[in-house]
Amino acid sequence: MRWMIAGLLFALAVTLAIATAAVRADNVRARRELEGRYRGVWDQIIEFKRLSVQQLESVSPDELARLQWRWLQRETGRREERLQ
Amino acid sequence: MKSGELKRVRFAFGLLGLVPVFLAGWFGYVQVAQAGRLQRPGRAALPLSAEVADNYAKRSEELPAPRGSILDRNGATLAADCEAYEVRARVRVPSTKRKDLSLFRPWLERLADNLAMALVADPELPERSRMYARYRERLRRVMWTGWGVDSLPQRGAWPAGRRDILDFLVAGGVDRRRVLDALDSHDQSKAYPTLHLQRLHSFKRVYPERDLTYGIVGHTESYEAAPGSAAPFRTVGVCGLESFAALAPDSGAVRRFLADGRHRAYFLAPVQSPPAPARLHSTLDLELQRVCVRELAQQCEAGMSLRGSPDDKPVWGAMALLEVESGDVLAAASWRSGGVHPKGAAFAPYQSRFEPGSIVKPLVVAYALEVGAVGWDDAFDCAPNGAMYGRVIRSLGRRRAVKDDHDCGVLTPHGILLNSSNIGAAMVGLRLSREQWQDYMSTFGWGTSLGLRLPHESLGGHPRRSFSPEISERGFRANSAISFSFGYEMTTTALQVARAYLRLLRGVDAELHLVRGLELDGKWHRASREDGVGRAFRPEVRGRVLAAMRDVISDAEGATGRTVVQRFRKEGTELHGLVGGKTGTAFSPVRDADGKTVTMRNASFVGLLPAAEPKWLVVCVLQKKGGRARFYGSSYAAPPAVRLLLRCLELRGGGTLRQEPQVGPGGQTRTGLQSPDRTGWVESVGADEPRETR
Repeated sequence: MRWMIAGLLFALAVTLAIATAAVRADNVRARRELEGRYRGVWDQIIEFKRLSVQQLESVSPDELARLQWRWLQRETGRREERLQ
Repeated sequence: MKSGELKRVRFAFGLLGLVPVFLAGWFGYVQVAQAGRLQRPGRAALPLSAEVADNYAKRSEELPAPRGSILDRNGATLAADCEAYEVRARVRVPSTKRKDLSLFRPWLERLADNLAMALVADPELPERSRMYARYRERLRRVMWTGWGVDSLPQRGAWPAGRRDILDFLVAGGVDRRRVLDALDSHDQSKAYPTLHLQRLHSFKRVYPERDLTYGIVGHTESYEAAPGSAAPFRTVGVCGLESFAALAPDSGAVRRFLADGRHRAYFLAPVQSPPAPARLHSTLDLELQRVCVRELAQQCEAGMSLRGSPDDKPVWGAMALLEVESGDVLAAASWRSGGVHPKGAAFAPYQSRFEPGSIVKPLVVAYALEVGAVGWDDAFDCAPNGAMYGRVIRSLGRRRAVKDDHDCGVLTPHGILLNSSNIGAAMVGLRLSREQWQDYMSTFGWGTSLGLRLPHESLGGHPRRSFSPEISERGFRANSAISFSFGYEMTTTALQVARAYLRLLRGVDAELHLVRGLELDGKWHRASREDGVGRAFRPEVRGRVLAAMRDVISDAEGATGRTVVQRFRKEGTELHGLVGGKTGTAFSPVRDADGKTVTMRNASFVGLLPAAEPKWLVVCVLQKKGGRARFYGSSYAAPPAVRLLLRCLELRGGGTLRQEPQVGPGGQTRTGLQSPDRTGWVESVGADEPRETR
């Protein structure tokens, strides 16, 4: 009987060891995933800031004037073509 | 249980029982025999303590400190920090390539190619193919040099004892998500299992109105043209407002994290005690700066295209606008010919020297009136063949005759300024003693620093021999005194001219200002300013000189500003009485780098608005090499300066030009483009408050 109990305890110890390893492995996986998301969020923040600056630059009076000039030139060309 | 089974079970359990015995023995060996230190080959012994065990997992990284923002007087951002990554690679040569070196070189080329492809992964990147080629070449060169590929055999195995791990910078300032994703796809990938890419936090400097602020706001990197190089510039330092010590990054923040057994970071903690970025509030007005840059460039470029001859184009141009009441520099612009990138060019308003010519005459006359050397009603016969000329000037034996552009008769100081008579100015100048000329130089600050603490400032001034005791009084009067009277034998910069006029208008200690204050850790520190502006010129002197400058910009007979008055009249603007000023036209022989002597011509203009009680002061200078003689200040330098002054008036009329910036409770202006906040990673740029774009 006592050998049976010893065997069961041993099996329990092995099971506990395996379960612990599994939980730890899952922790590592979850940790990696979390870390990946965390980096992804920062990447988006950085992208957002870059785009904010880019947009501010694109609406500066000089840039808008350049844009307007390009549109006018294109429109003039289109109308001239139509007249010909 | 049979006896054989019993023995086997006992044996098995006996083996299991040996495990704790072994562990206890190992523990005793490490803790007692090793006396708490683990010897490591080639490295220092590792102390075996709980602290070391904790530290093994607990790591921290230092985040760089942001430089801070530079704002204009209305809170518009001129320079700010944006977060970006610096990507570094740690690569080990794979074992298959180490065993067979014939595979190594193609692998290296492929790796450089793939990393370069990843760096241009964003299709919105400008000049992708050129950037790709540059990245590829750089990465290939870095790895080639790092591993010393030239000294490796073509075939065979990796030489024993040779380092096979390389750590290098892939790219800095990476802030595009697609690029980051593309780089991540190579990190310890199947194709490159030995490649480990690390991202380090960094900041990238952004300048929302870059084209307008190259010289005055400056940049954190100054570049020099490198002929024949793929990169047209190289880093040599900082310049402009960016050079101010307040913006130099101090110690950065610390972020704690844990590391797993393979040194991979996880559980990043929030940033601890991040330094608050500084905010430098400048005196510049972005809208006026825009007008200043545009008008100067238009004038310089129109001059080039209309004249056609390459000799007629200006070499450089400078324009600066001041607020008279405060001495604040509202705008400063520089223009250079030859397609020189503004990053690599000198900033003309304080770095390009010229002989001021006639624009100093109001200052000379004001000084002479102030010290009582001349009276306002004194008459000077300025005829070149007149008796007075012969007695006062020719008798000194000066080698070069003093001439006027057009013959003048008897003139008072008012007439001398109106006609810009060199002979008249020389006669006024000859009433001053050598000591008074020295005092004139220091009063108006010729040859002394502007005190703006801008690097590489040109000082100009007069040659040392001008006031040398070895020069006789007669020699001084015959040469230096006469030359100084109409702005020769001395050099200056546009901003020094502006300061000299500011001293005439406000007081002899008045200085220019470029910084209003600094916001540090939320506290507002006003920039130190002089307590007073020193002794002021007598009101009657100031008033009479201003009246003469008002009449220069009129239709009066001989007025040198007639051209500009007529020009603006055609456009529907009557300048007389509104704008005061003084034109300047000078030429001087200069020896160039090849040793050849060339004539440099300067067209300059000092403008004041309103003419009676000036609020704004503008100085414009254009310089060209040789060419035709008719390069007049009134035709070339005055129009852009007057347009800038009129724009000031227009903005004030519309209530958009603030005499005093809108300030917060601490005196700081509000800004739309946010620099990183206390964490350095949270606030969006321009998301909360709309930027003043006017």
